[in-house]
Amino acid sequence: MDPGSPRPFGLKLPGISNLKIPRLSRPAIDRKKALTIAGVAVAVIAVLLVGGFLVTSYLENQQVALFCGHISASEADLFLVHGRISVYMQTPADGLLAAGCDDRMREFAAIARYGRDVTAYHRQIIASDTVPEAYSGAQSAYIRALDRLNHAFSFWSSAATAYDMRDYAAANRNLAEADGAWQEYTAAVAEYDRELRAAEEGAEVPPEQ
Amino acid sequence: MEWKDVIPVVAGAVVILVLALVVKPALLGDPDSPGLASPVYVPPTPAPAPTPFPEDGPVYTRNFRWTAIDGGVHTTEVRIPEALFHAHRGTPRFSDYTSWGLYALADADRPILEDLARRIAPPSTNPDEGYLRLMNLVFFVQQIPYDMDDNTTSYIEGTLPRYAMYMKDGVEYPKYPVEMLVDGRGDCEDSAILMAGLFDALGYDTVLLRYSDHMALGIRMKEFNPYYAKYTPRYFMHDGQHYYYIEGTDFEKQYVSPHSIAIQGKPLAIGNAAGAGIPSVQSETPKIVPLRFVPEPGEYHIRPVRLPAEGA
Repeated sequence: MDPGSPRPFGLKLPGISNLKIPRLSRPAIDRKKALTIAGVAVAVIAVLLVGGFLVTSYLENQQVALFCGHISASEADLFLVHGRISVYMQTPADGLLAAGCDDRMREFAAIARYGRDVTAYHRQIIASDTVPEAYSGAQSAYIRALDRLNHAFSFWSSAATAYDMRDYAAANRNLAEADGAWQEYTAAVAEYDRELRAAEEGAEVPPEQ
Repeated sequence: MEWKDVIPVVAGAVVILVLALVVKPALLGDPDSPGLASPVYVPPTPAPAPTPFPEDGPVYTRNFRWTAIDGGVHTTEVRIPEALFHAHRGTPRFSDYTSWGLYALADADRPILEDLARRIAPPSTNPDEGYLRLMNLVFFVQQIPYDMDDNTTSYIEGTLPRYAMYMKDGVEYPKYPVEMLVDGRGDCEDSAILMAGLFDALGYDTVLLRYSDHMALGIRMKEFNPYYAKYTPRYFMHDGQHYYYIEGTDFEKQYVSPHSIAIQGKPLAIGNAAGAGIPSVQSETPKIVPLRFVPEPGEYHIRPVRLPAEGA
């Protein structure tokens, strides 16, 4: 071949005429097989859809059940706290001498500490719960209730500390603050009930009175 | 596609479902705050019991000569362990008057006050004598000489106590009841505290009445309005109860004759605030100081809540 020639005229490839183009076999799909494949595909999609729905529903139920269990545990502990408070409040202070008054205030401080610990503990658990969106309002309201109760018990503790320092005016101020926090707790509990009803009935939360 | 090709697909879907529904919840379990224990109630640590005073130790003996409501003159002996007296003298005072009621409730003083109160006002089955018993306690205290806190004569040591409090308008030193008995003198708050201790020992409910420059006692009574009183009994309301004014000082005494040790005076009866002659008592409404500070939260009910319906 002339190296100066740009086009290789007369090029011959040996045996090219012998090449065979592979012959594609025609797919042997009959109607029965096609229907089977389509059916399987539909079945798989249906299984995935139904399974997904079931899983989602199950997980939401699990979340609600867990949330319910945590609220229940919190209420059980708060019931114990309430029992302590009731016994304390029903115990008359008449006739106590100075040491008896101090003992009584130590009991008050211990109840306040217990209430603070219980509310902080359950607040942490319930705040870490993952709940369906419908229940998030109830969850927030319950956490707020625990927070306000925790504040109320903190004020009780401060009142007991003020008593130890014989600053009765400060003790009374703290008790008044505790009453305020307690009222906020009561309001938060009412809001929780409203939110829970709305979550379960799918209704709008009625506006606060 | 054969059925053998479908089976792995279906089996895979089943495995995914089993993983999601069974294995995952089992592995994750209830995330019930791992590492945290549910709080428990920890009862308060009891206060250490005070060291009892030796019964056979040295005592201060004091004799009080006083005139009862019936005009009879009595001498009442009081014996107080020196160790108790000195323990009180070595105790710092509360600067806030709202806690002075605790002095009247001192545990160590109580047996002495109970014994003294029963001797001055012996128990009686006649209810008509109740008023006379109360008045004898009042008269007894009123006849203990008045002396101001900043006078060294108010203390047996002849000096101001270590824990006397120097305020802008003078010295303040509220005495425990037995301190006033040993000193044999005291000022208005000391008298009020001693009366409060004696009345409390007999089961009466009292409060301290705090004026700007004075302190008196209030005793809870119902509709006290004796026909013989030539004054309108003064009372103050506290927690829905009537507390009648009792003056602990201002007993104007004089000897019956120059050579007699018998004294006569003009005691002030329950409710008689007009006779005290103290301007603040006439013009002010006192602050009422209960002997016991009892925390009374207005709100303390924990409200049970409805639980979420499971499987909702």
